[in-house]
Amino acid sequence: MFVVLIDQFWSLTIAGLALGFIYVLISLGYTMVYGVLRMINFANSEIFMWGTFGTVITNRDLYNYTQTSEPATGWKLALVLITALLMSMFIAGLTAVFVEFVAYRRLRMKGTNRLATLISAIGISIVLQEVMRLLTDSRPVGSPRVLEKIILAEVWGANLRLDTIITIIAAAVIFFILERFIKLSRMGKAIRAVSQNEDAAKLMGVNLNRVITTTFLVGGLATGAAAFFYTTVFEYTKFNIGFTMGLAAFTAAVLGGIGNIRGAFYGGISLGLLEVYASAVLGTQWKAVTVFVVLVLVLLFKPNGLFGEAVQQTRA
Amino acid sequence: MKIRSFFNLRDFGAGIWERSNRLQRVGIALISIFLVGLLPFAGASFLATPIASYDAVLVYPVGIFVLMALGLNIVVGKSGMLDLGYVAFFAIGAYTMALMGTLTSLNTWEIMPFGIAFAMLAGVLLGLPTLRLRGDYLAIVTLGFGEIVRLIALNSTWTKGPNGIANIPMPPDIGPLKFKLDDQKVFFWVVVVMILLTIWMIRRLSIRRPGRAWEAIRQDEDAAELMGVPTLKYKIWSFTLGAAIGGAAGVLYASKNLFIAPEMFTLNVSILILSCVVFGGIGNIWGVVVGATILGYLPDRIRFISDARLLVFGLVLVVVMNFRPDGLLPRKKREKAIVKREVSA
Amino acid sequence: MNRKIQRSLAVVSAAALVFGVASASTAQAAAKVLYIAYQGPLSGGEASTGIDEQNAVKYAVKLFNAKNKGKFNVKVVSVDDQGDPAVASTVAPGIGSNKNVLGVVGPAYSGATIASLPYYKAGGLVLISPSATRVSLTDPTSPDFGGPVFHRVVGKDDLQGPALAKYATKGVSNAKVFVFDDQSAYAVPLRGYVEAGLTKVAGASLVGGDSVPNTATDYSPTIAKIATSGATVVIYTGYYSAAAIFIKQLRDSGSKAIFAGGDGVFNQEFPKLAGTAAEGSRITGVGGLAGISPKLEADFKKQMGVSSGVYSVESYDAANILLEGIKKGNTTRAKMLKWVKAYKGKSVSGNTIKFDANGDISYGLFAGFTSKGGVLVNTGIVK
Repeated sequence: MFVVLIDQFWSLTIAGLALGFIYVLISLGYTMVYGVLRMINFANSEIFMWGTFGTVITNRDLYNYTQTSEPATGWKLALVLITALLMSMFIAGLTAVFVEFVAYRRLRMKGTNRLATLISAIGISIVLQEVMRLLTDSRPVGSPRVLEKIILAEVWGANLRLDTIITIIAAAVIFFILERFIKLSRMGKAIRAVSQNEDAAKLMGVNLNRVITTTFLVGGLATGAAAFFYTTVFEYTKFNIGFTMGLAAFTAAVLGGIGNIRGAFYGGISLGLLEVYASAVLGTQWKAVTVFVVLVLVLLFKPNGLFGEAVQQTRA
Repeated sequence: MKIRSFFNLRDFGAGIWERSNRLQRVGIALISIFLVGLLPFAGASFLATPIASYDAVLVYPVGIFVLMALGLNIVVGKSGMLDLGYVAFFAIGAYTMALMGTLTSLNTWEIMPFGIAFAMLAGVLLGLPTLRLRGDYLAIVTLGFGEIVRLIALNSTWTKGPNGIANIPMPPDIGPLKFKLDDQKVFFWVVVVMILLTIWMIRRLSIRRPGRAWEAIRQDEDAAELMGVPTLKYKIWSFTLGAAIGGAAGVLYASKNLFIAPEMFTLNVSILILSCVVFGGIGNIWGVVVGATILGYLPDRIRFISDARLLVFGLVLVVVMNFRPDGLLPRKKREKAIVKREVSA
Repeated sequence: MNRKIQRSLAVVSAAALVFGVASASTAQAAAKVLYIAYQGPLSGGEASTGIDEQNAVKYAVKLFNAKNKGKFNVKVVSVDDQGDPAVASTVAPGIGSNKNVLGVVGPAYSGATIASLPYYKAGGLVLISPSATRVSLTDPTSPDFGGPVFHRVVGKDDLQGPALAKYATKGVSNAKVFVFDDQSAYAVPLRGYVEAGLTKVAGASLVGGDSVPNTATDYSPTIAKIATSGATVVIYTGYYSAAAIFIKQLRDSGSKAIFAGGDGVFNQEFPKLAGTAAEGSRITGVGGLAGISPKLEADFKKQMGVSSGVYSVESYDAANILLEGIKKGNTTRAKMLKWVKAYKGKSVSGNTIKFDANGDISYGLFAGFTSKGGVLVNTGIVK
């Protein structure tokens, strides 16, 4: 049972970390919106899915890579990767703002019940998914290989692959930048003010609409970055991939303590690792069950998630 | 800016009801039930569903959705707990029917109590540890529970795994009423009876102690607790009652469908049922009935736009929620009415 | 008040108009027209399979109508079950009781077939499935048994399983085999037949397995298991899109193990999605239209505007059986059922189609395909 875990521990750990960092970025989309609106942003999974197409379009249509073409190298590689990253972030950010505008704004202004907003968000995610399904003819879409997946080194029997390393480092950097932005910038402070007390923030002259739109935008950008890493690592997307990833990221956000940026970080990493370890030990078919059982246990002992309480004041 | 949309059906209906005396009320109820009972005969009218058979659509999705939405409404609407794993109870009911129906010689009506009991048991088992959680934490835990039930059904051999269970027996005939596959009127009438029983039960409970406790919990759980309402107890009660109705719906569904498989019990079902509740008017029985009827019926009615069907469905959700955030038939007036009656009594 | 009523009236009448017009258009069943149905997933996550199959059916019907102009006008009723048994059981009663429909090509998926069967049995409506391969469907002792209405023009899993096991381990001495599925109702039973087939391959041993939901994209735990087990052959019984993701990750991990898959992986999209990683993959399946008759494929593309896809040969064959029946004057369901039961004819693939008492075809040989230069190349029937 544990043979695989012991034998392949470091391979699994690296894979789990890469997956975990993708979760971290997606769960930012959930957690930030939750912070200001106290709302599950149900459409975030579809924002992610739209983001993955940003990378596909860049690689396939902008730079004309195909499934059989040679991967890029040197400066060209950096250029393509950065364009793809920006494109995914742009599309996801735009989609997030669109979602806020169409599904949330009117309901928020009316100050009505949260469930209506939830259903509205579910509605918009069905719309986003179906539009993409019709655009792609229900077919999976491959993203051409731009980044050669070179094995850089072997550490304790595990391969350190270029794409995994880039994902882990770059995602950590992006996370760090976003976290600083929330902590230090004027807008970030406004976001935190709104999440602590909406009315007080309004009285202090915070432009609520702008803050909330920005929150969605930043969440969308993070989700878009995740979409880029996902597409670069797995080189694949389909109109219905959002659901699984979104659910996992949402679970990660709750695990870490939803509404809390650091919580998203730890939640995402723990979930990534938990998933690969559980799959290795119990079989992949029991992965989701294990994740949820762990989640319930965590919530029983720490009802606000792993980091919900400790960082309550600095909620974002 | 105040947008008063459409003609206020809720107040109109409630007004008629308020003004009627007991005899008239019985009359109104009987006529309505009779008209609903005639629905399966309206298949040739503009109600007809292309491709799908109209009377089958009336049973599932419409009838079963209404039943489940009423059950979920006890949890979400009455006591304000967000449950995203309602499909679990539906699945437990359906699997009880499938397993007991194929392995024992019991018939649907004899299995029904078992299905309800197992669903309730699951409700208590899940509720005891988790109902202390608030709001969205509860939502994700229930969501997880729904997935766990499906995955266990998918990964176990005693449930026949992904192959599902076929040859589930149909219900035995009730006197002259025969259950038939190509004509599902009797199924529909059975669902209607179950819906009526559920409505009756909810209305009884709503105006008594549990109803008041739920209302208090929904509005402010801490205040309710401070005022001496045993909140956990009533939350579990609400959860378990919802589970019972979900279980009953599951038993009937399995017995109508003759075949079940794990892929029928995905998270989408929970979300759809929740949409029915909120879409129609959360907390208001009639709103929930209307919401579930429309959302159950609509996708099959608009099959002629085959490819864009779900797209339209999503758009309808967004538009209706934006313009009628409290649902098609919201609850406010009704609650006021209850309060008024209590004061005068 | 007045305006409100006006507005609601306008809405109601607009809705009535939309619905009324629509129902009128669907109810216009002119007596001259004859109907066959195609049932499969036309929307939802599995839609591409159904759309491919339906295109082949429509193509067959188009050719037939053109050839018999003025005599017959056959129309295809699209029955979208989303590949989902729950949806199938709401649409099937409608088709079962719609006496205009003479026969069904489909259902595409086994689960949806089982859910629909009771209604078609009640209506005596003949089914010819191009892709439902579950063994129990033609097993008279099983509760899933589809007789007398169910037929299929595709080989079932217990033929394919051993063929796949044999083809995957061909030329590998002392093959250590790792088999995994995608938890679907198609893949799990097929995996069982593959594992059973392996016991008959000399020298081959089963060293491990896994079950990965088809929504997964990260296969690292499975790859870790493969590495630990020391497998030299990896067999996947799921579908092509997941297989493409998997094979890339397997190759990127440095593994050189042979990859093999069943007819779920058999799709020209597979090497396209997987790129060079797919090279050398071994896949069992029944040759598509393009592989069997390039001429027909060219015409298909001209007529339908798209290339033919998965199960195109099977769907085309199935539709032709029904169409031939119509031509011979079998225009009631009972006659059509009898016609199909007694049918003997040629498939586009050259095989003789003849159904046995349980609805299976007499052939059902699986060809082995290897991915070479981005396309799946037929290497002949697996013996």
